[in-house]
Amino acid sequence: MHIENHPVLGKQLQKPVTVYFNNQPLLAYKQQTVAAALIANGIKKLGESRKLVQSRGLFCSRGRCCSCYMTIDGENHVRSCMTKVKDGMQIYQSLGDPEIRSDENGY
Amino acid sequence: MDTDVLIIGAGPAGIVAAIETASKGLNVTIIDESNLLGGQLRQQTQMLQSLPSPYQSMRGFELAQDLTNQLTQFPIRYLLEHRIIGIYANGSLGITDELNVFPIMAKKIIVATGATENAISFPKWTLPGIMTIGAAQTLVNRDFVIPGKSAVIVGSTDFAMDIIHQLIDVGINIKGIIEQQPTIQAREMKKVNELYDIGLPFYVNASIKEARGIGEVKEVDIQLQDRVFTEYVDLVLVDGGRSPILDLFYQLNCSFGFGDKLGGWVPSYNQSFQTSVNDVFIAGNATGISVHGALLITGKIAATSVCEELEVLSREEAEKQSAELWKELESREYTDVFQERIKHIESYKSPMLKNQFIS
Repeated sequence: MHIENHPVLGKQLQKPVTVYFNNQPLLAYKQQTVAAALIANGIKKLGESRKLVQSRGLFCSRGRCCSCYMTIDGENHVRSCMTKVKDGMQIYQSLGDPEIRSDENGY
Repeated sequence: MDTDVLIIGAGPAGIVAAIETASKGLNVTIIDESNLLGGQLRQQTQMLQSLPSPYQSMRGFELAQDLTNQLTQFPIRYLLEHRIIGIYANGSLGITDELNVFPIMAKKIIVATGATENAISFPKWTLPGIMTIGAAQTLVNRDFVIPGKSAVIVGSTDFAMDIIHQLIDVGINIKGIIEQQPTIQAREMKKVNELYDIGLPFYVNASIKEARGIGEVKEVDIQLQDRVFTEYVDLVLVDGGRSPILDLFYQLNCSFGFGDKLGGWVPSYNQSFQTSVNDVFIAGNATGISVHGALLITGKIAATSVCEELEVLSREEAEKQSAELWKELESREYTDVFQERIKHIESYKSPMLKNQFIS
């Protein structure tokens, strides 16, 4: 849920944008990070761990713990807590290891 | 790119150090990973007590704004959304904007990288919905997002007490505070008592036995001394205290000491806030976890030392200024923290860890 009227800071959410999670449109606001915007829309599972395939979500929100990796606009393993939303952004959960040996990476 | 002073971290300590050095006419560059100045102050909506003069008591984000406004008087070079990723053989630092890497050669470096929250582990602690209490605060006060409907808190420091008040104010139902120690860790009893008074349950000698849920946390088993019970929550907020962020100090080949009250491993420094590496100074929570007022003072002391070394402040003036600041630091900081800081400084010449380079 978005906080329309913050008890101390007032009405801060002014500029809505649309982001896409698994191709579904979601309402977000310009100053929010990707992780925050997803949580506002009830999405807490941001990815799965590589080895044991356990669910992972936002943990530190400071870009240190790397629990919130997602695939954002075609780029793998982006820290979703440190990335601001942009209109039209395409967001997918980080599932499994990315395909590194692809043509676009020069292999 | 050359600079007199490179300040790493644009939180309160880094900004104060920038103001002090730039006001003496030095060429100052300040670098931060975030896109905004102010560091973690930006989401602190509680009133900050015991700020040094000339600051009035104000909220954290207001202090961030005040400090940022002061910076605009000086021609400082900002490298926001930049990170340091290594050190070149000639001593320049490697900076990246996530696309390119370029070197910066600085005469003096002030590292003010701040602190990180410690995790508390228990079975299934990695489930989504389990996060640090500071992460929840960031969601509420910076992103304007409610992280969940009902929560348990694991840990009971002053930092947690402030945030619990802020979470309640946006309608989050706090089902209990779980403290492993026999007593509540917070020192400001007023805030604790306010939570007691609204009927918030505090459990001491308690821990989380297990968290459960598919894809996200749904329930936790709480272990008390004589029984175990289950709470149904979609949020578990861990408050494991904070520790200095050390990555860069390792890379710079600094030595370390250990102080429990300072937050664990802390880079060695002397009373000038100079680390074991000559041109590297330290400020803020990286010098040991303390109250906001103290962070500002450490930034000033480090900057005073740098000004003296770069000869824009006479030795006499610097010593006088520094002595006054140390006196103020002693009066602002909790006594046991200050004493441990003094102990840490006394062990400057005999650090516990040397040559621990890891990258």
